[in-house]
Amino acid sequence: MRTLVKVARYHLVQPWQYLVVPWGILTFSFLVSLIVYAIVPADHHTVVTAHGSVSVLNSRYTGASSSFFIYFLVLGIQSIGRSLPFGLALGMSRRTYYTGTALLAVGLSFVNGLMLAIFQIIEQATNGWGVQMSFFRIAFVLIGPWYLTWLSTFVGLTLLFVYGMWYGIVYRRWGALGTIAFIAAQVTVALAAVVIITWAHGWTGVGHFFTGLTAVGLTGLLAVLAAALLAGGHATIRRAAI
Amino acid sequence: MTPAISVAGLTRHYRDQVALDHVSLELEAGSITGLLGRNGAGKTTLLRILAGQEFPSTGDVRVLGAPPAENDQVLRRMVFVREDQAYPDFKVGHALRAASWFYPNWDRELAGTLAEDFNLRPKKSIKKLSRGLRSALGITIGLAARAEVTLFDEPYAGLDAVARQIFYDRLLADYAEFPRTILLSTHLIDEAAALFESVVVIDQGRVVLEAAADGLRGVATTVSGPVLAVDEFTTGRAVWNRRRLGSQASVVMVGPLVEADRAEAQSLGLDLVPLTLQQLVVHAAGWPGAAGPGASAPANPEGVRA
Repeated sequence: MRTLVKVARYHLVQPWQYLVVPWGILTFSFLVSLIVYAIVPADHHTVVTAHGSVSVLNSRYTGASSSFFIYFLVLGIQSIGRSLPFGLALGMSRRTYYTGTALLAVGLSFVNGLMLAIFQIIEQATNGWGVQMSFFRIAFVLIGPWYLTWLSTFVGLTLLFVYGMWYGIVYRRWGALGTIAFIAAQVTVALAAVVIITWAHGWTGVGHFFTGLTAVGLTGLLAVLAAALLAGGHATIRRAAI
Repeated sequence: MTPAISVAGLTRHYRDQVALDHVSLELEAGSITGLLGRNGAGKTTLLRILAGQEFPSTGDVRVLGAPPAENDQVLRRMVFVREDQAYPDFKVGHALRAASWFYPNWDRELAGTLAEDFNLRPKKSIKKLSRGLRSALGITIGLAARAEVTLFDEPYAGLDAVARQIFYDRLLADYAEFPRTILLSTHLIDEAAALFESVVVIDQGRVVLEAAADGLRGVATTVSGPVLAVDEFTTGRAVWNRRRLGSQASVVMVGPLVEADRAEAQSLGLDLVPLTLQQLVVHAAGWPGAAGPGASAPANPEGVRA
């Protein structure tokens, strides 16, 4: 365990990339959204109640917080990149490097997920930062109580980071051509699923499955996917030459 | 005692190209060995396999008694400094700090001294270092790690003569105090020759020479002087290379010289110059013109196999 913590620290010895840049990106997209929504007036819609009709402000989703999530994918790729060769030069085994880096992914997602949940609380309390903005709240997935938001962002960020790691390893092992083949293989799997579902007339079932899925259920699904990606990356790094 | 590095029947091929061809080696613990050979001879592949960065196709590799691949117990006792090392987006100080966490014998003071000797500033981004300073960083890590097995692959590419001398001096001084097993590949053979206790020469993936450095001194001698005198002196002796220029001849003669030989040479008015390690390596790698331009006789690298 001590060695694994050292590997995680190895990534953080230059803390910019992992600790500063993601929040810099988030702050920037937050400010842009805030200014835009401060300028553009909110839409209303009318709700008819027993006491007459009431004008209600529409929720304004920005979707800009996705930049934070996408950056976690990038971080995953970078955590392999040129860090793996130097890591191995310092006497880590691939297994240790991979496990330590995954530990970093989990730790970062855990802390950052909590931060996002806290900002969601503030957003709710301030009536969307005073401009009805839903920056940290995303319909359906990140809209429940703060601890569910924490759980969902924790799983989502881990998933993206681990997915990025796998890309990094595939690139290190098989180059650009291999990475393209890797993407093509995933598209093929998705396509095969679509074809099979269509043949089996299964779309109604799929629709029911997703409409019946709660945010917690979705998070569970993503957690299973993250575990599968983690296993795939591990199998790929074992024979990667440097 | 188990050897620090032991390789048996190691072969590595990439598709149809053979990088290492049945390499067998044993290096004693506590020795400095030069790994010599031409570009593409297989030196880097061998070192990468020893460091667990690359995998053998077939054969047995043991470092400190166990296979190094994915073996944390072995890897943490080993450092590998390579010419083309990739670094993350670190500053010099970051790299040194990270290295200090992973090596139990890391010497901070030595790292500081070396960095100062080489003018390596901790605040400087590695990306922006010159080639020579990047090499200096690798050397600093490799020496300060004080790892039981230290592998250097062309560690001083781009380093100036003064910095190279600093490297040799620091290496020997630190080695004397903290003996370890050092395997160093280099093209600057004569310059580094004084370091080596033994040398391994590989050519086209095969070990063509493996010998103690002492045993190589006086293995071959260049004899030069008037043609007739040279012929008289070298009759009945193994010869690698013979060349003539007008009435003068120069011959590379194999085998040790005794006192009587020297006296004879002197009376014949011949010059005797022992072949340098570099010239021997050029011979061992199969190129006949070791002693200078214009070679004629076929080489016999097997002749020096020790």
